[in-house]
Amino acid sequence: MNKILDLLDPLLILSATFMGVALYLIFIWVPTETNQGAVQRILYFHVPVAWGSMLGIFVVSGSSFMYLLKKNEKWDRLAVASAEVGLIFGGIMLLSGMIWARPVWAVWWTGEAKLTTALILFFIYVAYLMFRAYFPPGAQRQRLAAIIGVIGAIDTPIIYFAANLWSQAHPPLITGPAADSDSALGSDLGTVLLISTLAFSFVFIFMVQARYKIRKSEDDVVELKRSSSASAMTGVN
Amino acid sequence: MSNVTNTASRSGALRFALTMILALVVSVSLTQISSAAHTPPVNGIVVGVETDDAGALIRFAVADSSGTIHTFTIFNGTEYGLENQAGDRWVSMQEEDPSEAARRLRDHRERFAPITVTSENGTAFSVVEREEGKLETNLGYLFAVFAITWALFFAYVLYLGRKQRVLQHEIARLEGLSGK
Repeated sequence: MNKILDLLDPLLILSATFMGVALYLIFIWVPTETNQGAVQRILYFHVPVAWGSMLGIFVVSGSSFMYLLKKNEKWDRLAVASAEVGLIFGGIMLLSGMIWARPVWAVWWTGEAKLTTALILFFIYVAYLMFRAYFPPGAQRQRLAAIIGVIGAIDTPIIYFAANLWSQAHPPLITGPAADSDSALGSDLGTVLLISTLAFSFVFIFMVQARYKIRKSEDDVVELKRSSSASAMTGVN
Repeated sequence: MSNVTNTASRSGALRFALTMILALVVSVSLTQISSAAHTPPVNGIVVGVETDDAGALIRFAVADSSGTIHTFTIFNGTEYGLENQAGDRWVSMQEEDPSEAARRLRDHRERFAPITVTSENGTAFSVVEREEGKLETNLGYLFAVFAITWALFFAYVLYLGRKQRVLQHEIARLEGLSGK
């Protein structure tokens, strides 16, 4: 069994390097925003983890679809690993958003579209993992979980476009195809946001890879138990 | 003679009392004027708007970044400089368009757009888009996000590490059982 925390793992080195550069840029290099002050630096955590949580549900959905198509266990493992890591990123997205909202909006939470759809994404992850935990093991569980995973991805574009479709308190989009052409990307903010997003993406991939390996080991244990009980039965006969 | 003395002493006491009342009134007024002159502007978001039956703005409430609610009354000379979401600035006074002022403040409340209010004794003199940010504060919120992010990441990696150790034991035990 491979160690999940191998210090010479290229992905871990890449994640640590990018994260180090991102933290330097966030806390030392980028100038303080004039209106919100230091608290605006939460953006460089909040947006990348939000991206990670949406990437997570896309991977869950894509690998679930591939599982339904190919019936190969590796896709199911990838879906579970991605869902777990996506849940962590989704939780951080919600918490960082709430902590940011308190000083700038004077409230922890509002019922506006962007926040509500992001909360729904978090609950989709919870529902997916709870279903897998409580439904009896077997091919039917994997099939139904895969269907939940595929449906879950529908929420992602709604979250992305929510700030533009129902413009309320949440700032409009600054990245991606629906962002304003004169958005902050290209400035200092854009550079730091890009590097921070890359750093968190590598962390996401590293965590998914680690969870995937563990999931593979769990399957190996099940297989070994099955074969040892089969050989015990043969010995009895 | 005694009547004259009594009248004189009563009149002296009255003068003294009047002087004391006048001094008290003047000192209270001066204190109020001096405190009003030093009332700092309030920055925050609109959390309440009250109008009369005709829809004219009467009062509004603002929550600052510490969560304190400040209530302001309006008078005819209250000045406004508020922007809509597109950034177009509306400049007016309460007496010119009181219902538009209420509408603008409600729009700010819905958008959580911050405003700055200058006031005296709870009466708003000017209501404008937020003019200053608190650069030196709010570091606690940034630290909280940073700490939570890394605490959750490390907790998850530790959880994976423990899970891996348990599985290694289990695999070794099962391989031992099957004689591999």
